[in-house]
Formats: sequence, C-alpha cells, structure tokens
Amino acid sequence: MVILALMAWGYAQSMQHHGHETKVNPKETIFEHLGDTYGWEVPFSHTKKIPLPIIAFAQGGKLHCFMSSRVTGGETYQDGDATFMIPHEGDYKGKLVQVLDDGTQYRPWDFSITKNALGIFIAAVLVILMAMSLRKWYKREGMKGPRGVKGMLELVIEFVYTDTIKPIMGKEAPKYGPYLLTAFFFILTMNLLGLIVIFPGGANLTGNLAVTMVLALATFLITNLTGTKHYWKDIFWPDVPIALKCPVPMMPLIEFLGILTKPLALMVRLFANMLGGHMVVIVLILLIMVFAQMFGTAVGAGTAVISVALSLFMLVLDTLISFIQAFVFTLLSTIFISMAHIHEEPKAVTE
Amino acid sequence: MELFKPEFGLVFWMFLAFVCLYFILAKWAWPFIIKSMDERATLIDEGVAYAQEAKSKLDNAKAEADALVADARKQQADILRDAAKMKTEIIEQAKAEAAVEAKKVTDAAQVSIEQSRKESEHQLRQDVGAYALQIAEQVIRKNMKDDNAQRDLVKKLLNEVESNN
Repeated sequence: MVILALMAWGYAQSMQHHGHETKVNPKETIFEHLGDTYGWEVPFSHTKKIPLPIIAFAQGGKLHCFMSSRVTGGETYQDGDATFMIPHEGDYKGKLVQVLDDGTQYRPWDFSITKNALGIFIAAVLVILMAMSLRKWYKREGMKGPRGVKGMLELVIEFVYTDTIKPIMGKEAPKYGPYLLTAFFFILTMNLLGLIVIFPGGANLTGNLAVTMVLALATFLITNLTGTKHYWKDIFWPDVPIALKCPVPMMPLIEFLGILTKPLALMVRLFANMLGGHMVVIVLILLIMVFAQMFGTAVGAGTAVISVALSLFMLVLDTLISFIQAFVFTLLSTIFISMAHIHEEPKAVTE
Repeated sequence: MELFKPEFGLVFWMFLAFVCLYFILAKWAWPFIIKSMDERATLIDEGVAYAQEAKSKLDNAKAEADALVADARKQQADILRDAAKMKTEIIEQAKAEAAVEAKKVTDAAQVSIEQSRKESEHQLRQDVGAYALQIAEQVIRKNMKDDNAQRDLVKKLLNEVESNN
C-alpha cells in the first residue's frame, strides 16, 4: 500500500511537471508499461533509466554491442559503421532500428538484454536460489523439517508435485515432474515479480506473448515428441463412425487442430490473465491523472483515494491469480502430457 | 500492436533461460528435494508405526513383568516351603541319630556300671571273707586259750565228723 501511495504521488508530481507541456496519453502510458523497453526505469523516476546492453546483428550480419543509454533518449548512435536509434513512431515504434544510408529504417536481429530479458534472468536466478537453498537444507539438516520460506516452498512443492502431478501422471511422475515443477516455479516467480512495481520486479514478464509462447511451446514439444502410438492413432484414426473420417477427414482434422489449440490456449490464458491484471492496475492509477487533467487537481486527488484502494485490491487479487495461473499452466501441462501417454487398453476390458 | 507480436530476441533469451533453468533444476534440485521429502515422509510414517508398536510392547511388557513377579513370588514360596520341610527333616534325623548315640552311650555306661558293681561285689566278698577270717581267728584265739575248750572243740568236731559219716 505504501508503494502504491508513493507511486501515485510520484505520478502526480511528474504530471505537475509536464502537465502543461504534454497531455496525458493513457494508451501510450499503458503500452509503455506493459511492453518491453531497452532500459529499466529507476524507481520513482520517469526519466532516469538503468542502462542495459543492446546486442544486435546489423544489416550484413555484423554484431554490435553497446549500452542502451546511448539511444533511449531518442538520439541516434553511431556504432562502427552502423547507425542505431529508437524511433518514437512508425512501424518500429519503441524498437531498436538501424538507420541505413538512404535514411530508411532496418530492424536488425535484436538480441538485446531488454528489461524483460533481464527480468527473466532475475526470475530464473531466484528460482535456482530457492530450490538450491532447499536442497542445501536437506543436505545439511537431513530429516529435519525446513523452517520459514523453505517450509513454505516445500508445502508448495508438496501441493504441486505430490497432490497434483503424482495422481495424474502415476508412475511417470518422476520423469516429467522436474519439467512441470520448473515451469510452475518459473511462472510463479515471474508472475509475482511482475507485481512488484520497482526495479527487481516491474517487468511484465508473463504478460508478454514471447514468454508464454516459449512456455507453451515446451509443453507442446514434450506432449507431441513423447506421445505414444495410441495417442497418434486417436488423432488420425479416432474411434468414430467411418463416415466421419473416411471420405472427408473431419474428425482427424478436428483432432489435429486440437493439438495446436492446446498450447495456444496455454499461451493465451497465462498471457491474457497477467496482462489484464496489470492493465487494470495501470488504468486505475491513470484515472487519477486523467481526472486531474480534466477536472483539476482536487478531483484527481479524490480519485486517487478510490483508485489506490481499488488497485490495492487488484494487486491482492493478482497475487492470487499469479498462483492460480502458474498452477493452471502446470495442471494443464500435466494433463496434456499424460493424455499423450495413453496406452492401448487391454482387450479384455473393452470387449 | 506491439504487445501481441512476440519479439524474436526475447523468445531466444526466454528459451535459453528456461532450458538452462530446467537442466539445472532437473539435475540438482527437484529429484533430490522430492527424494528427501519422500524419505522424510517414510521416516515419519515408520516412526509413528514404531512408536505404536513400542507402546503396545510397553503395555505387554508391564503384563509380562507382572506375570514374572507373580511367578517369582510363587517360586519363593515354594523354596521357603521346601526349606522348612528340609529343616524339619534334618532336625528329625539329627534327633534320631542323637537318640541312637545316646542309647549306645547309656548301654556302655550300664555295662561298665555292672562290671564295676561285680568287681566291687567281688572285692567286698574278699574283704568280708578276710575280715571274717580275722575276726574268727581273733575269736578262736581268745576261746582256745585254755585246754578244756580245745578239747571240747576237738570232741565236738569229731562228733560232727562221726555223725556225718
């Protein structure tokens, strides 16, 4: 709540500074906060940014590395024989582009450590630290029950692995458990980091399609690469009347689309849930500024009370959603993977 | 819209991070953690079972101890009874032996008493004989001081011999 109040106050301050020159542009602000940037904002300052490395392959395949502080101010930067800039409008708005000699913009292969990429690394390191601390505890203390955060971690592992993965996967649980647990804790950490508004957090990680796409792709690959013969038979020659699959392969087509929609649903569900949560919080905060601009500071201040209370509620809800979405992703991945591992039912049962 | 276009660079870093994370955790963390948790769960289950068993054993042990004590008491009583019996037996035996011995001693004493009585009787007879002879001698000597008396006596003796024959 303190953080939220400070954030609102910071916004009000910056608005008073720029209020007369620039109008509040809610759409711009929302997408700037939800999207990826080349620097990371210093807490409570809208202008200062922590510089992050830019790694890009320019036209012709030459690698260029420099700090993002050289271009985030809107400047053009000459690195060797290539010129880079971040345009504020056009097709590549907010993205690094190479300005060619004839003045046209070329989007290079961009492997920059952006805010989101760094956020992903921070989340990964946090997950490793958590898991390793638990491992260390077991190494050192043996059979003693872990205390504090480690105890909570163990409880969550127990909940996800013993109570969810094991009953669904059966004896295959030890094989796929590590992947599912990794996905769960990675998503959970990224979700929660996204809710923290200042530096180590604040990157909208799981509300980014690139991130959820990779996660969904991992489940998709595991599901289809380890699928049994029976799984594939069910897709291309399902147990339905011949008419539904012989002249026109209707059912196989539907089943095949099912393969694709499953990871797509995983990807979009996580993305939309987290994006929505973040968006609502930002919109609520922006309401203060919009109202202040439209009706004066007093109305804006009045709105601030309601907005902050509502955003607080939303953030609490988002904390819950963070856990639920991580769990749902894991649960569905578990089900998809175990569904691809069906074996031919014994004849005695079917007859 | 920029938000709905996955950025290739980010996909690359995410993929790299996720794969690295997976291999690190799958190699060092999860299997070990899950194994440890299972082991501890088993240990706790076994501990509970062991404690229950120990409790029932303890309860049994009390009954067993009671039985043992009762048995010991019974044995003690038996031993005491046997000892008492043996004591009386020994005393009886000793008494019997003592009686036999005493009888032997009294018999021997009686024999020796008889012997010494006979001896003393014999002695007494001899002594009495000697005294009588002495007395007789004294009497005779006194009586035979005159010749008349001697003659009378000879006469009398001769008469006696004659009457006998």
